[in-house]
Amino acid sequence: MSAYGYDAVVIGGGVSGIMASLTLASRGFKTALVSRGDPVCCLSTGCIDVFSHSDEPLGGIRALLPDHPYSLVGEKGIVDSLSFFLEIMGEAGLPYEGDPGRNRKILTPIGSTKNTCLVPRTMAHADMPPGEYLHVISFQGIKDFFPSYITSRHRNSTYSVYDAGVPTTLGIAARFDDASFLDAFITWLRGLEIPLDRVALPAVLGTIDPDSVMEKISRAIGRKVFEIPTLPPSVPGLRLFRALKRVMQNRGIHLYWGKGVTSVECQGRTVEAVTLATTGRAKRVQGRAFVLATGSFVSGGLFAGRDSVRETVFDLPVAAPGERKDWFNTDFFSGAHGIERAGVRVDRDFRPVGAKIDNLFACGSILAECEIMSLQCGHGLAVATGVAAAKSCAQELS
Amino acid sequence: MVVTFFHDMFHEESSYMIKTDVVIIGGGATGCGIARDLALRGVHHYLVEKGDFANGATGACHGLLHSGARYAVTDPEAARECIGENAILRRIARKCVETTGGLFVRLPGDSKRYRDTFLSNCEEAGISTEVLSATRALDLVPELNPSIEEAVVVPDCSIDPFRLCMLNAFTSRHKGGGILTHHKVIDIVRERGRCTGVKVLDRFTSQIKEIRAKIIINATGAWGDTLARMGGSDAPMTLSKGSLIISNHRLTNMVINRLRPPSDGDIIVPNEAVCLAGTTSIPVDDPDAIEVDPREVDLVATQAEQMLPRFGTTRLIRAYTGVRPLLKAEASDSRSISRGFKIIDHKNGMFSILGGKLSTYRLMAEKTVDAVVEEFGIKARCKTADIPLDGQDELSGYPLSKRLKGIDNIVCECELVDRAQVENAINSLGIQYIGDIQHRTRLGMGPCQGGFCTYRALGIMQETGRLTPDESIEILKHFLQRRFRGIRPALWGDQLREEQLVESIYLGILNMGQRA
Repeated sequence: MSAYGYDAVVIGGGVSGIMASLTLASRGFKTALVSRGDPVCCLSTGCIDVFSHSDEPLGGIRALLPDHPYSLVGEKGIVDSLSFFLEIMGEAGLPYEGDPGRNRKILTPIGSTKNTCLVPRTMAHADMPPGEYLHVISFQGIKDFFPSYITSRHRNSTYSVYDAGVPTTLGIAARFDDASFLDAFITWLRGLEIPLDRVALPAVLGTIDPDSVMEKISRAIGRKVFEIPTLPPSVPGLRLFRALKRVMQNRGIHLYWGKGVTSVECQGRTVEAVTLATTGRAKRVQGRAFVLATGSFVSGGLFAGRDSVRETVFDLPVAAPGERKDWFNTDFFSGAHGIERAGVRVDRDFRPVGAKIDNLFACGSILAECEIMSLQCGHGLAVATGVAAAKSCAQELS
Repeated sequence: MVVTFFHDMFHEESSYMIKTDVVIIGGGATGCGIARDLALRGVHHYLVEKGDFANGATGACHGLLHSGARYAVTDPEAARECIGENAILRRIARKCVETTGGLFVRLPGDSKRYRDTFLSNCEEAGISTEVLSATRALDLVPELNPSIEEAVVVPDCSIDPFRLCMLNAFTSRHKGGGILTHHKVIDIVRERGRCTGVKVLDRFTSQIKEIRAKIIINATGAWGDTLARMGGSDAPMTLSKGSLIISNHRLTNMVINRLRPPSDGDIIVPNEAVCLAGTTSIPVDDPDAIEVDPREVDLVATQAEQMLPRFGTTRLIRAYTGVRPLLKAEASDSRSISRGFKIIDHKNGMFSILGGKLSTYRLMAEKTVDAVVEEFGIKARCKTADIPLDGQDELSGYPLSKRLKGIDNIVCECELVDRAQVENAINSLGIQYIGDIQHRTRLGMGPCQGGFCTYRALGIMQETGRLTPDESIEILKHFLQRRFRGIRPALWGDQLREEQLVESIYLGILNMGQRA
């Protein structure tokens, strides 16, 4: 077995794990990140929902109970972590904008609007004043995008359909990376003789540099242009992940990608190493401290058996709502199911409560009480707790 | 391809008053079987059904064509009926029946004396059996619990109840009968105490139609008493809820039964790509107010796991429940009530067909129609056992190769349903309901249970002008809520992961949550 040693080892390659590893690396710690594969943020809108349940994220967060992870971070910690995120995205060449004090709106594929906090520039113009004219562009054969859902809900709106030669969002986005395709598209768009204030498209404006694609279209037609996030697989979610991964690589974080943790080595109350499943020999990754950011059920950080919920790497104690019959209420649309509160409880330093381990910290959606679905706070919570847990970890290391 | 022969079935009736000889209420296997039988005997009729075909117990059962072995010890008469019908259906309904064969497995601790009685009663009922050693049984079904004592082979089969209903209805339509699905009976017309017709509400157009007939047949299963009362009589029954679970994999190619007195959760039936396990048996009062309790899921899964251990670790995609319309009896345990059937002549122009089970639907239809033609004073012999179901040639079945044809434009990835199939269902069958598309194409029947494709199918429906965008969103909401009812009792493991992903799409990306 080969062995590698680090100051900090972060387990989990989603937004919280990445933000934790960037925080640690920025403080000079030799950091490794271990991930089973690409994270669920690739399936998201790419926007940072901080607290979309109310119009004012920070105001909404203030009203949360003291055991909510946001309350453990505190308002200053949340604001600072979001600034750090904006700085990172600038460095990655995929700038985001937004204000934690006030949510903005983006448009959904069914024509409704949705609150969110930080958005990529390609969605900045989605927050439209009422009465403006909107023209929606759809693509021939695209599966999950039906423009009439949008035009039926907006009085001044129409749509046209462009044939990109491929029907999938990822396929169309790849074509927009090609300058000659973009030119042909713009020529077609200029030929549409309709009065329009803004143009909206499903989020397919390239996989590499969507801002330039958007700018070019916008300049050519003299209108504001914005993207509408689509169902998974989501191009803006993928862009977000790839941008974050690029920064990790630039900042010298060692990535173990596509490899899950198969076993954990402890000495007394200290984790010393984790072993990774790899196709050749097993790899042993040593660290002085560990951050657990393996996510909730979808990502596999938590697993629900028939009767109980367990944490999948360290078998940490899990706070879970009673029996299985209490996990879900009968209303699909409430989102406020008991299971949403299941997870690992942590103290003010983000150390798991009741764990027999001292050098372990947890962050992201694996945390108990976070209620991501009903509060709509997924990526925001990941950023805030990822940075906060890493700060505690940094303190432990120094 | 979807079944295209229903072509003109959904065309709107132009007149509000329709005259016929017989009205059948209920589009389950019995009602559709009666329609076919009447058609073959030349009696004009209409069938009305409040939902789609197989809306009640027919669509919520195991899909098991019994050999009768299950009833050999407790109900020999039902056993004899089953084996007779089993042979007939294998002959006339080839495209609905998969001749899987069945095993009764005896686990350690199961009574050997019961096994002896079972074998001799099967012989008496004319059900062929073959006793296999554990080793030979494991050769046949490798996923079986390796500690089984022995197994008995019987001629059980898997049957597709929905397809069975459609094919029976096809003959009826072909011979001039009227089939009105999504038409709910709101009143029974009576003149001088005699039932002379029904008033039905077209659930799509909200039109009310009146159908006048000489005889009304109440084949509404669990709703039998309600309908009989509308006609001024009654049809007392015992209602028993039975819940089942669906596994994500086809863990066995044979029907697996437990060799012990009939009890909860002791039958597993392979169906297409999945397995169905059940059932429970719990008395209920109202067939419209039934839910699966998570404890029923645990009970059935635990029992199924004893026969096929992998049932304990495989993903369960859904649970569902139906109501057995059993004959009223003194027995308090609903398992010991006869699965036999009874025809009631209410002497007011209405006949009710009560009890029975899917396997004997044809026989039930035959006896019912015998009573009706006698009333009419016609001499016409039943032909349903001799003539194969019409329309079977047009059924393509499930072959993957056929489904891969439209791979470029798949709407439902789980079941490989492409856009052309969905459009065909919408355009040529005139379908108005998302559930009807699902029944006819298998759209949404796979692991994600329509989590992705229903949104797409509704998008296509509104693009073709069948629905407005607002209607489409309303139907989507309704669908998601109904879907969740079936999924919720069996949510753990990977299915819970899948469900949280679906939730994040509808509540997150599409922002359809209530609190937003």
